[in-house]
Amino acid sequence: MNNKHVAVIGGGIAGMEAASVLARQGLKVTLIEKQANTGGKLNDWDHLFPDFSSPDELVSSLATKTKDSGVNTVYNTEISRIERAGKRFELRANQDVRFYADAVLVASGFNVFDATIKEEYGYGLFGNVITSVDFEKRMKKHGQLRTIQGTAPKRVAIIHCVGSRDAKVGNTYCSKVCCITGIKQAIEISEMLPDCEVFCFYMDLRLYGSTFDSLYLQAQKRHKIQFIRGRLSEAAERADKSIQIKAEDTLQGRPLRMTVDMVILLVGMEPGASTSQLIQKNQMTVDENGFLKSTNMHCARNQSTQEGIFMAGTAICPMAVNETIENARSAATEIIHFFENHRP
Amino acid sequence: MYSDLNQRLKADVRLEEGLQACMNCGICTAICPAAEFYEYDPRSIAITVQSGNEEKIAALLEGDTIWYCGQCMSCKTRCPRNNCPGLIISVLRKLSQETGAFIKSRMGRQQYLIVKTIGANILRFGYCVHPNSLVPATHPEQGPVWRWIYENMHEVYAAVDANLDGDGPGAMRKISPTDLDELHQIFEVSGGLKLYQTIEYFSQLKAVEMGLTDTNGKADMEKYTQYLLNE
Repeated sequence: MNNKHVAVIGGGIAGMEAASVLARQGLKVTLIEKQANTGGKLNDWDHLFPDFSSPDELVSSLATKTKDSGVNTVYNTEISRIERAGKRFELRANQDVRFYADAVLVASGFNVFDATIKEEYGYGLFGNVITSVDFEKRMKKHGQLRTIQGTAPKRVAIIHCVGSRDAKVGNTYCSKVCCITGIKQAIEISEMLPDCEVFCFYMDLRLYGSTFDSLYLQAQKRHKIQFIRGRLSEAAERADKSIQIKAEDTLQGRPLRMTVDMVILLVGMEPGASTSQLIQKNQMTVDENGFLKSTNMHCARNQSTQEGIFMAGTAICPMAVNETIENARSAATEIIHFFENHRP
Repeated sequence: MYSDLNQRLKADVRLEEGLQACMNCGICTAICPAAEFYEYDPRSIAITVQSGNEEKIAALLEGDTIWYCGQCMSCKTRCPRNNCPGLIISVLRKLSQETGAFIKSRMGRQQYLIVKTIGANILRFGYCVHPNSLVPATHPEQGPVWRWIYENMHEVYAAVDANLDGDGPGAMRKISPTDLDELHQIFEVSGGLKLYQTIEYFSQLKAVEMGLTDTNGKADMEKYTQYLLNE
Protein backbone atom coordinates (compact mmCIF):
# COMPACT_ATOMS: atom_id res chain seq x y z
CA MET A 1 0.00 0.00 0.00
CA ASN A 2 2.94 2.28 0.68
CA ASN A 3 3.60 3.02 -2.95
CA LYS A 4 0.02 4.13 -3.55
CA HIS A 5 -0.66 7.72 -4.38
CA VAL A 6 -3.75 9.69 -3.32
CA ALA A 7 -4.70 13.04 -4.80
CA VAL A 8 -6.81 15.19 -2.48
CA ILE A 9 -8.75 17.97 -4.20
CA GLY A 10 -9.36 20.91 -1.91
CA GLY A 11 -7.17 22.30 0.86
CA GLY A 12 -9.89 23.21 3.30
CA ILE A 13 -10.11 21.53 6.65
CA ALA A 14 -11.52 18.28 5.22
CA GLY A 15 -8.76 17.95 2.65
CA MET A 16 -6.01 18.86 5.12
CA GLU A 17 -7.18 16.43 7.78
CA ALA A 18 -7.72 13.53 5.36
CA ALA A 19 -4.38 14.20 3.65
CA SER A 20 -2.44 14.15 6.90
CA VAL A 21 -4.15 10.96 8.13
CA LEU A 22 -3.38 9.21 4.83
CA ALA A 23 0.22 10.41 4.78
CA ARG A 24 0.77 9.21 8.33
CA GLN A 25 -0.36 5.78 7.14
CA GLY A 26 2.53 5.85 4.69
CA LEU A 27 0.65 6.80 1.52
CA LYS A 28 1.96 9.35 -0.93
CA VAL A 29 -0.44 12.27 -0.80
CA THR A 30 -0.76 15.36 -2.96
CA LEU A 31 -3.07 18.04 -1.60
CA ILE A 32 -4.26 20.32 -4.39
CA GLU A 33 -5.57 23.74 -3.42
CA LYS A 34 -6.95 26.27 -5.90
CA GLN A 35 -6.02 29.27 -3.77
CA ALA A 36 -2.68 30.55 -2.55
CA ASN A 37 -3.19 29.13 0.95
CA THR A 38 -4.94 26.28 2.67
CA GLY A 39 -7.75 26.62 5.19
CA GLY A 40 -10.53 27.46 2.74
CA LYS A 41 -13.53 29.39 3.99
CA LEU A 42 -12.40 29.13 7.61
CA ASN A 43 -9.76 31.76 6.86
CA ASP A 44 -12.55 34.35 6.79
CA TRP A 45 -14.25 33.11 9.93
CA ASP A 46 -13.82 34.88 13.25
CA HIS A 47 -15.10 32.44 15.87
CA LEU A 48 -16.49 28.93 15.81
CA PHE A 49 -19.63 27.62 17.48
CA PRO A 50 -20.30 26.36 20.07
CA ASP A 51 -17.11 27.16 22.02
CA PHE A 52 -16.18 30.53 20.48
CA SER A 53 -12.74 29.17 19.63
CA SER A 54 -10.58 30.65 16.91
CA PRO A 55 -10.51 28.89 13.54
CA ASP A 56 -7.00 30.29 12.99
CA GLU A 57 -5.59 27.94 15.60
CA LEU A 58 -7.38 25.02 14.04
CA VAL A 59 -6.24 25.89 10.52
CA SER A 60 -2.63 26.40 11.56
CA SER A 61 -2.54 23.16 13.54
CA LEU A 62 -3.96 21.30 10.53
CA ALA A 63 -1.36 22.98 8.30
CA THR A 64 1.43 21.84 10.66
CA LYS A 65 0.04 18.29 10.71
CA THR A 66 -0.19 18.24 6.95
CA LYS A 67 3.37 19.45 6.53
CA ASP A 68 4.85 17.21 9.22
CA SER A 69 3.20 14.09 7.85
CA GLY A 70 4.85 14.63 4.48
CA VAL A 71 1.89 15.73 2.37
CA ASN A 72 2.91 17.47 -0.82
CA THR A 73 0.71 20.57 -0.98
CA VAL A 74 0.25 22.30 -4.33
CA TYR A 75 -1.26 25.80 -4.39
CA ASN A 76 -3.01 27.92 -7.02
CA THR A 77 -4.07 24.80 -8.85
CA GLU A 78 -7.63 23.99 -9.74
CA ILE A 79 -8.55 20.53 -10.97
CA SER A 80 -11.02 20.57 -13.82
CA ARG A 81 -11.11 16.93 -14.79
CA ILE A 82 -10.43 13.49 -13.41
CA GLU A 83 -9.82 10.77 -15.98
CA ARG A 84 -9.15 7.08 -15.66
CA ALA A 85 -5.74 6.12 -17.01
CA GLY A 86 -5.60 2.32 -16.80
CA LYS A 87 -5.94 1.48 -13.13
CA ARG A 88 -4.93 4.97 -12.15
CA PHE A 89 -6.40 8.43 -12.42
CA GLU A 90 -5.12 11.39 -14.33
CA LEU A 91 -6.11 14.76 -12.91
CA ARG A 92 -5.98 17.78 -15.12
CA ALA A 93 -5.52 21.25 -13.79
CA ASN A 94 -5.09 24.73 -15.15
CA GLN A 95 -2.05 25.48 -17.34
CA ASP A 96 -1.99 21.87 -18.46
CA VAL A 97 -0.66 20.61 -15.14
CA ARG A 98 -1.37 16.92 -14.58
CA PHE A 99 -1.32 14.69 -11.56
CA TYR A 100 -1.51 10.90 -11.37
CA ALA A 101 -3.06 9.00 -8.49
CA ASP A 102 -4.39 5.57 -7.47
CA ALA A 103 -7.32 7.12 -5.64
CA VAL A 104 -8.87 10.55 -5.57
CA LEU A 105 -10.47 12.32 -2.66
CA VAL A 106 -12.81 15.16 -3.56
CA ALA A 107 -12.92 17.64 -0.69
CA SER A 108 -13.97 20.63 -2.73
CA GLY A 109 -16.34 22.09 -0.15
CA PHE A 110 -19.44 24.21 -0.50
CA ASN A 111 -20.64 27.54 -1.81
CA VAL A 112 -22.29 30.12 0.37
CA PHE A 113 -25.84 30.90 -0.77
CA ASP A 114 -25.88 34.11 -2.80
CA ALA A 115 -28.26 36.27 -0.77
CA THR A 116 -28.90 38.67 -3.67
CA ILE A 117 -31.12 35.92 -5.12
CA LYS A 118 -33.48 36.51 -2.20
CA GLU A 119 -34.08 40.00 -3.57
CA GLU A 120 -36.89 40.83 -1.15
CA TYR A 121 -34.39 40.81 1.73
CA GLY A 122 -32.45 43.65 0.12
CA TYR A 123 -28.96 42.21 0.32
CA GLY A 124 -26.70 44.18 -2.02
CA LEU A 125 -29.34 46.91 -2.16
CA PHE A 126 -29.46 48.14 1.43
CA GLY A 127 -26.20 48.82 3.23
CA ASN A 128 -27.44 47.60 6.58
CA VAL A 129 -28.42 44.16 5.36
CA ILE A 130 -25.44 41.83 5.68
CA THR A 131 -24.91 38.07 5.75
CA SER A 132 -23.58 35.86 8.51
CA VAL A 133 -20.40 35.51 6.43
CA ASP A 134 -20.02 39.31 6.24
CA PHE A 135 -20.47 39.43 10.01
CA GLU A 136 -17.56 37.04 10.55
CA LYS A 137 -15.36 38.90 8.07
CA ARG A 138 -16.09 42.25 9.70
CA MET A 139 -15.51 40.93 13.17
CA LYS A 140 -12.24 39.39 12.10
CA LYS A 141 -11.07 42.55 10.36
CA HIS A 142 -12.41 45.30 12.60
CA GLY A 143 -13.41 43.52 15.80
CA GLN A 144 -16.66 45.45 15.84
CA LEU A 145 -20.07 45.73 14.24
CA ARG A 146 -21.13 49.06 12.78
CA THR A 147 -23.98 50.22 10.60
CA ILE A 148 -23.26 51.78 7.22
CA GLN A 149 -23.66 55.17 8.96
CA GLY A 150 -20.81 54.22 11.29
CA THR A 151 -22.90 53.87 14.42
CA ALA A 152 -23.20 50.97 16.82
CA PRO A 153 -26.52 49.22 16.07
CA LYS A 154 -29.16 49.36 18.79
CA ARG A 155 -31.40 46.75 17.24
CA VAL A 156 -30.33 43.82 15.12
CA ALA A 157 -32.49 41.15 13.47
CA ILE A 158 -30.92 37.81 12.62
CA ILE A 159 -32.81 35.96 9.91
CA HIS A 160 -32.69 32.18 9.82
CA CYS A 161 -33.10 29.89 6.78
CA VAL A 162 -31.88 32.29 4.07
CA GLY A 163 -31.39 30.12 1.02
CA SER A 164 -32.34 26.99 2.95
CA ARG A 165 -35.66 25.14 3.16
CA ASP A 166 -36.92 27.39 0.43
CA ALA A 167 -38.38 25.99 -2.78
CA LYS A 168 -38.36 29.49 -4.27
CA VAL A 169 -34.56 29.47 -4.45
CA GLY A 170 -34.37 25.76 -5.28
CA ASN A 171 -32.87 24.69 -1.94
CA THR A 172 -35.39 22.65 -0.01
CA TYR A 173 -32.86 21.14 2.40
CA CYS A 174 -31.75 22.41 5.80
CA SER A 175 -28.19 23.77 5.96
CA LYS A 176 -28.07 22.65 9.56
CA VAL A 177 -25.31 24.91 10.90
CA CYS A 178 -27.09 28.27 10.50
CA CYS A 179 -29.35 28.04 13.58
CA ILE A 180 -26.45 27.64 15.96
CA THR A 181 -24.39 30.18 14.01
CA GLY A 182 -27.20 32.70 14.51
CA ILE A 183 -27.29 32.05 18.24
CA LYS A 184 -23.52 32.35 18.45
CA GLN A 185 -23.53 35.64 16.55
CA ALA A 186 -26.46 36.95 18.63
CA ILE A 187 -24.48 36.28 21.81
CA GLU A 188 -21.39 37.94 20.34
CA ILE A 189 -23.37 41.06 19.44
CA SER A 190 -24.95 41.17 22.86
CA GLU A 191 -21.58 40.81 24.60
CA MET A 192 -20.03 43.47 22.41
CA LEU A 193 -22.99 45.87 22.58
CA PRO A 194 -24.90 45.18 25.80
CA ASP A 195 -27.55 47.81 24.97
CA CYS A 196 -28.30 46.31 21.59
CA GLU A 197 -31.55 44.36 21.25
CA VAL A 198 -31.14 41.21 19.19
CA PHE A 199 -34.02 39.33 17.57
CA CYS A 200 -33.78 35.94 15.88
CA PHE A 201 -36.49 35.18 13.32
CA TYR A 202 -36.68 31.43 12.96
CA MET A 203 -39.02 28.75 11.71
CA ASP A 204 -37.63 25.81 13.67
CA LEU A 205 -34.53 26.02 15.81
CA ARG A 206 -32.56 23.00 14.73
CA LEU A 207 -30.02 22.78 17.52
CA TYR A 208 -28.80 19.29 16.87
CA GLY A 209 -25.47 19.42 18.71
CA SER A 210 -25.24 18.14 22.25
CA THR A 211 -24.25 21.54 23.63
CA PHE A 212 -26.24 23.74 21.26
CA ASP A 213 -29.37 23.90 23.37
CA SER A 214 -27.46 25.16 26.36
CA LEU A 215 -26.17 28.00 24.17
CA TYR A 216 -29.79 28.74 23.23
CA LEU A 217 -30.71 28.82 26.89
CA GLN A 218 -27.78 31.12 27.61
CA ALA A 219 -28.81 33.41 24.74
CA GLN A 220 -32.28 33.80 26.20
CA LYS A 221 -31.42 33.88 29.86
CA ARG A 222 -28.22 35.85 30.05
CA HIS A 223 -28.32 37.87 26.86
CA LYS A 224 -32.06 38.46 26.53
CA ILE A 225 -32.00 37.54 22.85
CA GLN A 226 -35.57 37.45 21.60
CA PHE A 227 -36.69 34.57 19.43
CA ILE A 228 -39.64 35.19 17.15
CA ARG A 229 -41.15 32.27 15.31
CA GLY A 230 -41.75 33.50 11.79
CA ARG A 231 -39.88 33.79 8.53
CA LEU A 232 -39.12 37.18 7.06
CA SER A 233 -41.29 38.12 4.11
CA GLU A 234 -39.41 41.26 3.14
CA ALA A 235 -37.10 44.06 4.18
CA ALA A 236 -37.22 47.70 3.12
CA GLU A 237 -34.78 50.54 3.69
CA ARG A 238 -36.08 53.66 5.36
CA ALA A 239 -34.86 57.21 4.74
CA ASP A 240 -32.51 57.00 7.73
CA LYS A 241 -31.00 53.74 6.37
CA SER A 242 -32.63 51.65 9.06
CA ILE A 243 -34.40 48.54 7.84
CA GLN A 244 -38.08 47.79 8.19
CA ILE A 245 -38.84 44.08 8.27
CA LYS A 246 -42.09 42.16 8.03
CA ALA A 247 -42.81 38.72 9.43
CA GLU A 248 -45.60 36.93 11.17
CA ASP A 249 -45.24 36.15 14.84
CA THR A 250 -46.75 32.73 14.21
CA LEU A 251 -47.02 31.86 17.88
CA GLN A 252 -49.30 34.82 18.37
CA GLY A 253 -50.82 34.57 14.90
CA ARG A 254 -50.17 38.23 14.16
CA PRO A 255 -48.31 40.02 11.41
CA LEU A 256 -45.42 42.03 12.73
CA ARG A 257 -43.52 45.04 11.47
CA MET A 258 -40.31 46.13 13.06
CA THR A 259 -37.57 48.62 12.37
CA VAL A 260 -34.00 47.55 13.07
CA ASP A 261 -30.60 49.11 12.50
CA MET A 262 -29.10 46.02 10.93
CA VAL A 263 -30.24 42.73 9.48
CA ILE A 264 -28.01 39.66 9.41
CA LEU A 265 -29.00 36.94 6.95
CA LEU A 266 -27.98 33.43 7.98
CA VAL A 267 -26.98 32.17 4.55
CA GLY A 268 -27.01 28.44 3.91
CA MET A 269 -24.62 26.06 2.21
CA GLU A 270 -24.89 25.02 -1.42
CA PRO A 271 -23.02 22.47 -3.51
CA GLY A 272 -19.62 23.92 -4.37
CA ALA A 273 -18.87 25.39 -7.77
CA SER A 274 -15.63 23.39 -8.02
CA THR A 275 -17.55 20.26 -7.15
CA SER A 276 -20.11 20.94 -9.88
CA GLN A 277 -17.34 21.18 -12.45
CA LEU A 278 -15.94 17.81 -11.42
CA ILE A 279 -19.37 16.22 -11.42
CA GLN A 280 -20.18 17.29 -14.95
CA LYS A 281 -17.01 15.88 -16.39
CA ASN A 282 -16.81 12.67 -14.39
CA GLN A 283 -20.32 11.26 -14.26
CA MET A 284 -20.27 11.46 -10.49
CA THR A 285 -23.78 11.25 -9.19
CA VAL A 286 -25.34 13.90 -7.02
CA ASP A 287 -28.12 13.56 -4.49
CA GLU A 288 -31.47 15.37 -4.63
CA ASN A 289 -29.84 18.53 -3.29
CA GLY A 290 -26.96 18.58 -5.75
CA PHE A 291 -24.29 17.43 -3.28
CA LEU A 292 -22.10 14.40 -4.07
CA LYS A 293 -23.97 11.17 -3.63
CA SER A 294 -22.61 8.37 -1.48
CA THR A 295 -23.01 4.74 -2.50
CA ASN A 296 -24.50 4.12 0.94
CA MET A 297 -25.36 6.95 3.26
CA HIS A 298 -24.92 4.84 6.39
CA CYS A 299 -21.85 2.72 5.86
CA ALA A 300 -20.13 4.19 2.80
CA ARG A 301 -20.66 7.88 3.26
CA ASN A 302 -17.34 8.78 1.63
CA GLN A 303 -17.58 6.55 -1.42
CA SER A 304 -18.69 8.25 -4.58
CA THR A 305 -20.55 6.40 -7.29
CA GLN A 306 -17.23 6.16 -9.20
CA GLU A 307 -14.92 3.48 -7.89
CA GLY A 308 -11.68 4.90 -6.58
CA ILE A 309 -13.08 8.40 -6.21
CA PHE A 310 -13.94 9.32 -2.63
CA MET A 311 -15.26 12.44 -1.04
CA ALA A 312 -15.08 14.24 2.26
CA GLY A 313 -16.59 17.21 4.06
CA THR A 314 -19.16 19.67 2.81
CA ALA A 315 -18.98 18.39 -0.76
CA ILE A 316 -21.25 15.64 0.64
CA CYS A 317 -23.69 17.77 2.60
CA PRO A 318 -23.73 20.75 4.94
CA MET A 319 -21.74 19.97 8.05
CA ALA A 320 -20.07 21.70 10.97
CA VAL A 321 -16.32 22.01 11.49
CA ASN A 322 -16.05 19.12 13.96
CA GLU A 323 -18.15 16.87 11.74
CA THR A 324 -16.06 17.82 8.72
CA ILE A 325 -12.90 16.71 10.48
CA GLU A 326 -14.49 13.45 11.62
CA ASN A 327 -15.79 12.93 8.12
CA ALA A 328 -12.33 13.50 6.66
CA ARG A 329 -10.91 10.82 8.95
CA SER A 330 -13.65 8.47 7.89
CA ALA A 331 -12.78 9.17 4.25
CA ALA A 332 -9.14 8.37 4.94
CA THR A 333 -10.19 5.07 6.52
CA GLU A 334 -12.31 4.15 3.51
CA ILE A 335 -9.43 4.91 1.14
CA ILE A 336 -7.10 2.71 3.18
CA HIS A 337 -9.67 -0.11 3.09
CA PHE A 338 -10.01 0.40 -0.63
CA PHE A 339 -6.31 -0.21 -1.16
CA GLU A 340 -6.30 -3.16 1.23
CA ASN A 341 -9.28 -4.85 -0.42
CA HIS A 342 -9.06 -3.98 -4.09
CA ARG A 343 -5.47 -3.14 -4.93
CA PRO A 344 -3.18 -5.72 -3.39
CA MET B 1 -75.00 19.71 7.38
CA TYR B 2 -72.16 19.40 4.86
CA SER B 3 -70.69 16.23 3.53
CA ASP B 4 -67.41 15.24 1.93
CA LEU B 5 -65.88 18.67 2.34
CA ASN B 6 -62.35 17.34 1.97
CA GLN B 7 -63.24 15.47 -1.16
CA ARG B 8 -65.00 18.46 -2.63
CA LEU B 9 -62.04 20.73 -1.86
CA LYS B 10 -59.63 18.26 -3.42
CA ALA B 11 -61.75 17.97 -6.54
CA ASP B 12 -60.85 21.58 -7.34
CA VAL B 13 -57.58 21.67 -9.27
CA ARG B 14 -56.68 24.97 -7.63
CA LEU B 15 -56.18 23.19 -4.32
CA GLU B 16 -53.56 20.93 -5.82
CA GLU B 17 -51.77 24.02 -7.08
CA GLY B 18 -52.33 26.00 -3.90
CA LEU B 19 -51.46 23.54 -1.16
CA GLN B 20 -48.47 21.22 -1.34
CA ALA B 21 -47.70 21.11 2.37
CA CYS B 22 -47.53 24.06 4.72
CA MET B 23 -44.73 24.32 7.28
CA ASN B 24 -46.29 27.17 9.22
CA CYS B 25 -43.56 29.73 8.57
CA GLY B 26 -45.93 32.70 8.36
CA ILE B 27 -44.40 34.38 5.28
CA CYS B 28 -47.85 34.54 3.64
CA THR B 29 -49.40 36.35 6.59
CA ALA B 30 -46.38 38.64 6.81
CA ILE B 31 -46.77 39.73 3.19
CA CYS B 32 -50.59 39.74 3.17
CA PRO B 33 -52.11 43.26 2.87
CA ALA B 34 -55.45 42.00 4.27
CA ALA B 35 -53.78 40.58 7.37
CA GLU B 36 -52.62 44.07 8.26
CA PHE B 37 -56.19 45.32 8.47
CA TYR B 38 -58.36 42.40 9.50
CA GLU B 39 -58.31 39.59 12.02
CA TYR B 40 -57.10 37.44 9.20
CA ASP B 41 -54.30 34.90 9.00
CA PRO B 42 -53.84 33.05 5.68
CA ARG B 43 -51.32 30.72 7.32
CA SER B 44 -53.89 29.35 9.74
CA ILE B 45 -56.39 28.88 6.90
CA ALA B 46 -53.81 26.84 4.96
CA ILE B 47 -53.12 24.78 8.08
CA THR B 48 -56.83 24.17 8.71
CA VAL B 49 -57.36 22.90 5.17
CA GLN B 50 -54.21 20.81 5.44
CA SER B 51 -55.50 19.25 8.67
CA GLY B 52 -58.59 17.98 6.87
CA ASN B 53 -60.71 18.64 9.97
CA GLU B 54 -64.19 18.91 8.46
CA GLU B 55 -65.64 20.70 11.45
CA LYS B 56 -63.02 23.42 11.22
CA ILE B 57 -63.33 23.60 7.44
CA ALA B 58 -67.10 24.04 7.83
CA ALA B 59 -66.42 26.88 10.27
CA LEU B 60 -64.24 28.54 7.62
CA LEU B 61 -67.00 28.19 5.01
CA GLU B 62 -69.50 29.78 7.37
CA GLY B 63 -67.21 32.48 8.69
CA ASP B 64 -66.07 35.95 7.68
CA THR B 65 -62.36 35.26 7.30
CA ILE B 66 -62.25 33.68 3.84
CA TRP B 67 -63.84 36.82 2.42
CA TYR B 68 -61.08 39.16 3.68
CA CYS B 69 -58.59 37.99 1.04
CA GLY B 70 -58.14 40.49 -1.79
CA GLN B 71 -56.85 37.78 -4.15
CA CYS B 72 -53.68 39.80 -4.79
CA MET B 73 -51.68 36.54 -4.68
CA SER B 74 -48.70 38.14 -2.94
CA CYS B 75 -48.58 34.95 -0.88
CA LYS B 76 -47.83 32.95 -4.02
CA THR B 77 -44.69 34.96 -4.72
CA ARG B 78 -43.14 34.27 -1.33
CA CYS B 79 -44.17 30.86 0.00
CA PRO B 80 -41.01 28.75 0.48
CA ARG B 81 -43.04 25.60 -0.18
CA ASN B 82 -44.62 26.98 -3.35
CA ASN B 83 -48.08 26.99 -1.80
CA CYS B 84 -50.59 29.69 -2.57
CA PRO B 85 -53.03 30.47 0.25
CA GLY B 86 -54.87 32.82 -2.14
CA LEU B 87 -55.82 29.83 -4.27
CA ILE B 88 -56.87 27.81 -1.21
CA ILE B 89 -59.16 30.73 -0.36
CA SER B 90 -60.61 30.67 -3.90
CA VAL B 91 -61.50 27.02 -3.46
CA LEU B 92 -63.04 27.59 -0.02
CA ARG B 93 -65.07 30.52 -1.34
CA LYS B 94 -66.50 28.50 -4.17
CA LEU B 95 -67.43 25.69 -1.82
CA SER B 96 -69.00 28.21 0.56
CA GLN B 97 -71.09 29.54 -2.33
CA GLU B 98 -72.07 26.11 -3.58
CA THR B 99 -73.09 24.82 -0.15
CA GLY B 100 -74.84 28.02 0.87
CA ALA B 101 -72.54 28.33 3.89
CA PHE B 102 -71.83 31.92 2.87
CA ILE B 103 -75.20 33.19 4.14
CA LYS B 104 -74.08 32.45 7.70
CA SER B 105 -71.59 35.28 7.86
CA ARG B 106 -71.84 39.03 7.28
CA MET B 107 -68.94 39.07 4.82
CA GLY B 108 -70.32 35.99 3.07
CA ARG B 109 -73.78 37.49 2.62
CA GLN B 110 -72.17 40.35 0.66
CA GLN B 111 -71.84 37.83 -2.20
CA TYR B 112 -75.39 38.71 -3.15
CA LEU B 113 -74.52 42.37 -3.59
CA ILE B 114 -71.48 41.47 -5.65
CA VAL B 115 -73.53 39.26 -7.98
CA LYS B 116 -76.04 42.06 -8.39
CA THR B 117 -73.41 44.72 -9.11
CA ILE B 118 -70.14 43.46 -10.54
CA GLY B 119 -71.72 40.17 -11.58
CA ALA B 120 -74.49 41.93 -13.48
CA ASN B 121 -72.20 44.62 -14.92
CA ILE B 122 -69.88 42.16 -16.58
CA LEU B 123 -72.75 40.57 -18.47
CA ARG B 124 -74.57 43.82 -19.21
CA PHE B 125 -71.69 46.13 -20.18
CA GLY B 126 -68.73 43.78 -20.55
CA TYR B 127 -67.06 45.69 -17.70
CA CYS B 128 -66.98 44.66 -14.02
CA VAL B 129 -67.15 48.29 -13.08
CA HIS B 130 -68.69 50.74 -15.48
CA PRO B 131 -68.94 54.49 -14.78
CA ASN B 132 -72.72 54.30 -15.21
CA SER B 133 -72.95 51.66 -12.49
CA LEU B 134 -71.07 53.66 -9.86
CA VAL B 135 -74.05 55.75 -8.79
CA PRO B 136 -72.95 58.29 -6.15
CA ALA B 137 -76.10 57.69 -4.07
CA THR B 138 -75.20 54.02 -3.52
CA HIS B 139 -71.44 54.62 -3.49
CA PRO B 140 -70.91 57.46 -1.00
CA GLU B 141 -67.39 56.15 -0.38
CA GLN B 142 -66.43 57.51 -3.82
CA GLY B 143 -66.67 61.05 -2.48
CA PRO B 144 -67.42 64.44 -4.08
CA VAL B 145 -64.82 64.19 -6.84
CA TRP B 146 -66.47 61.08 -8.19
CA ARG B 147 -69.87 62.77 -7.90
CA TRP B 148 -68.58 65.60 -10.10
CA ILE B 149 -67.10 63.16 -12.62
CA TYR B 150 -70.35 61.20 -12.65
CA GLU B 151 -72.37 64.31 -13.33
CA ASN B 152 -70.02 65.44 -16.13
CA MET B 153 -69.22 61.94 -17.34
CA HIS B 154 -69.13 62.44 -21.10
CA GLU B 155 -67.06 65.63 -20.98
CA VAL B 156 -64.56 64.14 -18.51
CA TYR B 157 -64.05 60.89 -20.44
CA ALA B 158 -63.73 62.79 -23.71
CA ALA B 159 -61.09 65.02 -22.12
CA VAL B 160 -58.89 61.97 -21.41
CA ASP B 161 -59.43 60.61 -24.92
CA ALA B 162 -61.66 57.76 -23.78
CA ASN B 163 -64.44 56.55 -26.03
CA LEU B 164 -67.16 56.14 -23.41
CA ASP B 165 -70.00 53.96 -24.74
CA GLY B 166 -68.89 54.76 -28.28
CA ASP B 167 -68.42 52.43 -31.21
CA GLY B 168 -64.95 51.52 -32.42
CA PRO B 169 -61.73 51.38 -30.38
CA GLY B 170 -60.72 53.24 -27.23
CA ALA B 171 -60.97 53.00 -23.47
CA MET B 172 -64.45 52.36 -22.05
CA ARG B 173 -65.80 51.75 -25.55
CA LYS B 174 -69.08 50.00 -25.97
CA ILE B 175 -68.70 46.24 -26.03
CA SER B 176 -70.43 44.80 -29.07
CA PRO B 177 -73.49 42.53 -28.67
CA THR B 178 -71.55 39.68 -30.30
CA ASP B 179 -68.82 39.92 -27.67
CA LEU B 180 -71.36 40.25 -24.87
CA ASP B 181 -73.08 37.16 -26.18
CA GLU B 182 -69.80 35.29 -26.19
CA LEU B 183 -69.11 36.42 -22.63
CA HIS B 184 -72.54 35.17 -21.62
CA GLN B 185 -71.79 31.80 -23.15
CA ILE B 186 -68.49 31.59 -21.30
CA PHE B 187 -70.34 32.20 -18.03
CA GLU B 188 -72.87 29.57 -18.98
CA VAL B 189 -70.38 26.89 -19.98
CA SER B 190 -67.94 27.55 -17.13
CA GLY B 191 -70.64 27.37 -14.45
CA GLY B 192 -70.47 31.07 -13.61
CA LEU B 193 -74.16 31.67 -14.26
CA LYS B 194 -75.11 28.66 -12.19
CA LEU B 195 -73.05 30.05 -9.35
CA TYR B 196 -74.92 33.38 -9.65
CA GLN B 197 -78.18 31.46 -9.37
CA THR B 198 -76.94 29.44 -6.41
CA ILE B 199 -75.95 32.61 -4.57
CA GLU B 200 -79.34 34.17 -5.32
CA TYR B 201 -81.14 31.01 -4.24
CA PHE B 202 -79.45 30.82 -0.83
CA SER B 203 -79.78 34.59 -0.37
CA GLN B 204 -83.53 34.29 -0.91
CA LEU B 205 -83.68 31.54 1.70
CA LYS B 206 -81.86 33.84 4.09
CA ALA B 207 -84.25 36.70 3.34
CA VAL B 208 -87.23 34.48 4.13
CA GLU B 209 -85.55 33.20 7.26
CA MET B 210 -85.11 36.79 8.39
CA GLY B 211 -88.73 37.63 7.60
CA LEU B 212 -87.77 39.98 4.77
CA THR B 213 -90.74 38.93 2.65
CA ASP B 214 -93.46 40.43 0.48
CA THR B 215 -97.20 40.10 1.11
CA ASN B 216 -97.15 36.61 -0.43
CA GLY B 217 -94.51 35.41 1.99
CA LYS B 218 -91.85 35.32 -0.71
CA ALA B 219 -88.36 36.76 -0.31
CA ASP B 220 -88.27 40.52 -0.80
CA MET B 221 -84.83 41.06 -2.26
CA GLU B 222 -85.18 44.84 -2.19
CA LYS B 223 -85.51 44.69 1.57
CA TYR B 224 -82.71 42.13 1.76
CA THR B 225 -80.43 44.40 -0.28
CA GLN B 226 -81.18 47.30 2.05
CA TYR B 227 -80.44 45.03 4.99
CA LEU B 228 -77.08 43.99 3.50
CA LEU B 229 -76.12 47.58 2.73
CA ASN B 230 -76.67 48.53 6.35
CA GLU B 231 -75.42 45.38 7.97
